[in-house]
Amino acid sequence: MTAVDVRTAIVEQPWEDEQREPGLHDEHPGVEPVPGRASRPWVRYVVRRVLQAVGVLVAAYTVSFFVLYRLPGDPVTILAGGGTGEQLDVDPAKLAELKAEYGFDQPVWLQYLTRLGAAVQGDFGRSVQTGEPVTAVLLRSLPSTLQLSTAALLVSVIGGAALAVVATWTRNRWLRDVLLALPPLAVSLPTFWIGLVLVDLLSFRLRLFPAMGDGTVATLVLPVLTLAIPGGAVVAQLLAKSLLRTLDEPYIDIARAKGLTRGRIHLAHALRNAALPAFTATGMMVGNLFAGSVVVETVFGRNGVGRVTQQAVTLQDIPVVQGVVALGALVFVTVNLVVDLVYPLLDPRIVTAAKD
Amino acid sequence: MSKIHHRVRSRARGKRLGATVAVAVSTLALLVLTGCGAEAVPGAVPSSGTPTPGGTLVVAVSDDAGCIDPQQVASNNTIYTTRQLVDSLTDQDPETGKIVPWLAEKWEVSPDSRSFTFHLRTDATFSDGTPVNAEAVKANFDAIDGLGANGTLALGYVSGYAGTKVVDDHTVTITFKQPNVQFLQATSTFTLGLLSVATTQQSAADRCSSVIGSGPFVLDSYTRNSSIVISKRKGYDWGSSLWKHTGEAYLDQVEYRIVPESGVRTGSLQSGQVDVIGSIGPQDEAAITASGASLAARANPGLVFGLYVNNARPIVKDPAVREAISAAINRADIATTTFPSQTKAATSVLASTTLHYASQENNLGFDASRAAQLLDEAGWLPGSDGIRVKDGQRLHLVALWSDNAATNKPTLELIQQQLRAAGVELELKLPTAGERTELLQSGNFDFSWSNITRVDPDILRSSFSTLLANSYRVPKTELDDLLTRQASETDETKRAELVAQAQELIVANHYAIPVVELTTVLGVGPKVHDLAFEASSRIQLYDTWKSA
Amino acid sequence: MTLATRIRSGARFAVRRPTLVIAVLVVAAVVVAAFGPWVFSTADPLTGVPAQKLQPPSPAHLFGTDELGRDLWTRVVHGAALSLKATLIAVCVAFVFGGAIGMLAGFLGGWVDDVVMRVVDVLLSIPGLLLSLALVTALGYGTVEVAVAVGITSIAGFARVTRSEVLRVRTAVYVEASAATGARWYQVLLWHVLPNAAGPGIVLATLEFGSAILAVSSLSFLGYGAQPPEPEWGALIASGRNYLATAWWLTTLPGLVIVALVLSTNRISRAIDRRGELA
Repeated sequence: MTAVDVRTAIVEQPWEDEQREPGLHDEHPGVEPVPGRASRPWVRYVVRRVLQAVGVLVAAYTVSFFVLYRLPGDPVTILAGGGTGEQLDVDPAKLAELKAEYGFDQPVWLQYLTRLGAAVQGDFGRSVQTGEPVTAVLLRSLPSTLQLSTAALLVSVIGGAALAVVATWTRNRWLRDVLLALPPLAVSLPTFWIGLVLVDLLSFRLRLFPAMGDGTVATLVLPVLTLAIPGGAVVAQLLAKSLLRTLDEPYIDIARAKGLTRGRIHLAHALRNAALPAFTATGMMVGNLFAGSVVVETVFGRNGVGRVTQQAVTLQDIPVVQGVVALGALVFVTVNLVVDLVYPLLDPRIVTAAKD
Repeated sequence: MSKIHHRVRSRARGKRLGATVAVAVSTLALLVLTGCGAEAVPGAVPSSGTPTPGGTLVVAVSDDAGCIDPQQVASNNTIYTTRQLVDSLTDQDPETGKIVPWLAEKWEVSPDSRSFTFHLRTDATFSDGTPVNAEAVKANFDAIDGLGANGTLALGYVSGYAGTKVVDDHTVTITFKQPNVQFLQATSTFTLGLLSVATTQQSAADRCSSVIGSGPFVLDSYTRNSSIVISKRKGYDWGSSLWKHTGEAYLDQVEYRIVPESGVRTGSLQSGQVDVIGSIGPQDEAAITASGASLAARANPGLVFGLYVNNARPIVKDPAVREAISAAINRADIATTTFPSQTKAATSVLASTTLHYASQENNLGFDASRAAQLLDEAGWLPGSDGIRVKDGQRLHLVALWSDNAATNKPTLELIQQQLRAAGVELELKLPTAGERTELLQSGNFDFSWSNITRVDPDILRSSFSTLLANSYRVPKTELDDLLTRQASETDETKRAELVAQAQELIVANHYAIPVVELTTVLGVGPKVHDLAFEASSRIQLYDTWKSA
Repeated sequence: MTLATRIRSGARFAVRRPTLVIAVLVVAAVVVAAFGPWVFSTADPLTGVPAQKLQPPSPAHLFGTDELGRDLWTRVVHGAALSLKATLIAVCVAFVFGGAIGMLAGFLGGWVDDVVMRVVDVLLSIPGLLLSLALVTALGYGTVEVAVAVGITSIAGFARVTRSEVLRVRTAVYVEASAATGARWYQVLLWHVLPNAAGPGIVLATLEFGSAILAVSSLSFLGYGAQPPEPEWGALIASGRNYLATAWWLTTLPGLVIVALVLSTNRISRAIDRRGELA
């Protein structure tokens, strides 16, 4: 499920004519016919997907390396200036020493190969700003972002699903219209703006939650809410659309004819089947959460990967930025891989050939 | 489509419109309603009285330098922490500028200012138990050279370092290859604060993660970009002679939280979530005082905030243009508009709290008509859009700046506005870190907006002497001689005279255009008492206490 | 049809779709503000009276005043040009390059297709904001740089959509016919494939407007956009956040303008996305 398709899905209202319904299975990369569960093709498929994932990771590292390399000055000179905007007199000999230590005096291709070789072993070099190993920097800031992302993902899914379920179940036309008007609105709100408005309303004026910090559960509330508003909108829209389509399926009519209660049909049958297509968007959602964390962590003063990224970019701390890009790609690729591997197991109906 | 379908669709659409509007209107209403009306609750009057030991002070600052080593860090926000972790050989009285005993009970300076002998007190120890003795002092100074580019500040203080001699267990002599007059003052800074021998033997990178000092507080934990926690040093009793009490510090713990959002810092102070906040803007003051907190302020010594001129550039090479720009700036307006209320307009290139500051007020007045006259005479005549033109060239100048203080942007925009009224087009350029270095070296800029905090006026030499980096491309004049001589003049009165002359030369020739003094302003909650500033306007928390 | 009939049917059309009408009006207003800001405000966006700083919205100052006493409404109006410019650049970069890549991949097929789509996959695997941050570091700060960075991030989406459309069209009868009459491959590409495959790409472009506005304002909020005193919307909110506790209008109101514009472009995009029919 590409980012493109999801955005299109957001904007459309689910009950309008479905002329250009993007086949959710059509563009799905890597899904091959799985006749029965014969193990040889399956193993081959898994291996192929894993190799693809690794290839994408290496390519992502390469892209980021060359993008970042095209820089005017070099970070070591900035570091010597104290990073405060004040101007200090730096001894050129000391500078050359530091440059050699960080490897900035070697030709580009040699730097690339050395770095790539090290990266494969898990060594991303040392941060130019603090001298810490990049892996340590990222590992240290990962828990906070993981907390935030996981909680935000959960809230998005639960909130969005609740909205979709209620909206498609209710017989009250007005309620349904209001609920379904919310996601397109939520998706149009800039994340940083949501965060600031929430801080102003809920923290400064109503004094309900703390505005900053990392430690307690209470400090998570506002950041999670900020990320969950657009995230939940995506889930709600996808699921509502999928639910409406599922409810039109013949087997639902049969279930009704069999005498099952409306609630049971809606939740046990329709929802379970409608959830699958939404599941494929997980990778993209995780990617969005990662991106959103850059802004949210700054607004709320949390020490996570997003903030580390922003500071590293400003200070041109190349090793850290590369580490973050590698991490982002790794997360995205892994989640997609898991989704790709799990989806055929959940939905044996897949017969569409891969378009790749 | 059939007619029925049409009607169903249009009704559906109508309902949809209603729903959308309802949602939009209620959201807007909610925003507006909570936008108006809510006022800050006025706080209780802060109690005064006898200091009570105990409690945790929570300080919110805007950023983290990424390093906790006092000898490697120049950023104010982190200095608020590092100052508490180390003691210095001497201390400096913020009121008088006098150097007084701390770890060193007494000292002698050789007549040529090349040799400094310190007699240490015998009871001080580092928090790992090792004694603060001559060996430790030697280890500290010998290690400075190994800090490389990370220790630029410290290296500047000990330039020409020839070695440290351990005379006996508590006596040490530090010598330099040439006279180093500012060194005694430098020993009072946190940059030359003493660290344990074990710490000095670590690499510069490792020292950034954790240090051991002898200060009134000990480092508990340091989570970069998140928080720093320090706690009281048990058994501490070798404080500076300036401090009000003896023995251990009052506070049990101090917690520094990194909160980049200024609005969030202010709100947290108002709601009592933090006790002290830094980097206050003028807009926060009313809210802070309304909530019962108070403002503590002190001007930072050193080079003031100003437009430091690249004197080699074609347009600003003309002294008349520089003088006109200086006259077109309304410093008082700037100080009251974009800076906290205690900020003063610059009256010299040095701040008023700097040692040997001498007022140059006569050359720093606001005179729009004089500015216009000077530019007219120099051949710059107003063009069709108000910007002056000469020989087909617009009076367009570029100023480099950085976003490290929230006051920079509005201040520079206001200066832009004032200069535009005089017919000068000022372009503000915020370079990336790499671009900035390149631009400074290549000289592709007309002004650089910056400041440097130092108590000692030797900062003038680092910035304006043609014998050093000379980033501002100051021409060779008698200024060089003045600056070199003040660095080795041991008689304070004569030195003051030299420094005063240097300031006059710089300001009268407009090699730099001073604008406003950086003033450290802190928001202090009603429960906090006796928060002190040391001589460089950083905080000293030894005597600070919290009421219940 | 007579003019009167046309007007009547147009009015009927409009009345049935009130949200679309509002959306078009909003976008039109922004375009007018971009090219002729004096229509909405005659004040100077760059000059303020410091004594009048930080005043709340009032009849004299619709959106209040900022930290230097400048009228916020005027600054927002003048910021429209910057936002529009950035968004147009971003969408054009994405559309042109993404479209070209997708078209070549779909049309030429084979190993070209494989390689190109691999590269596209890589671009997709790096989270968007992160990629644009890295690009901004390389390109420097500024409205145009930010716009290009955002545009490059969106290339992948356009490439995929265009490619799948080209694959669909490539097998169409009229393409085969034109090839059979001896047209060269690039003639077939330009005259037949392109016009017919462009549809979804254009729809995506209108959709991209909304997300480009959000991405550009996010990057300018983080500090990588226009230099002061340019009143770019994201930068307005960024400097407004310092005054959050005391002057809520500096962050809230420019944000609402962004929201209104994004909602409007999304609504218009939805309307166009009916294979040429307007919904």
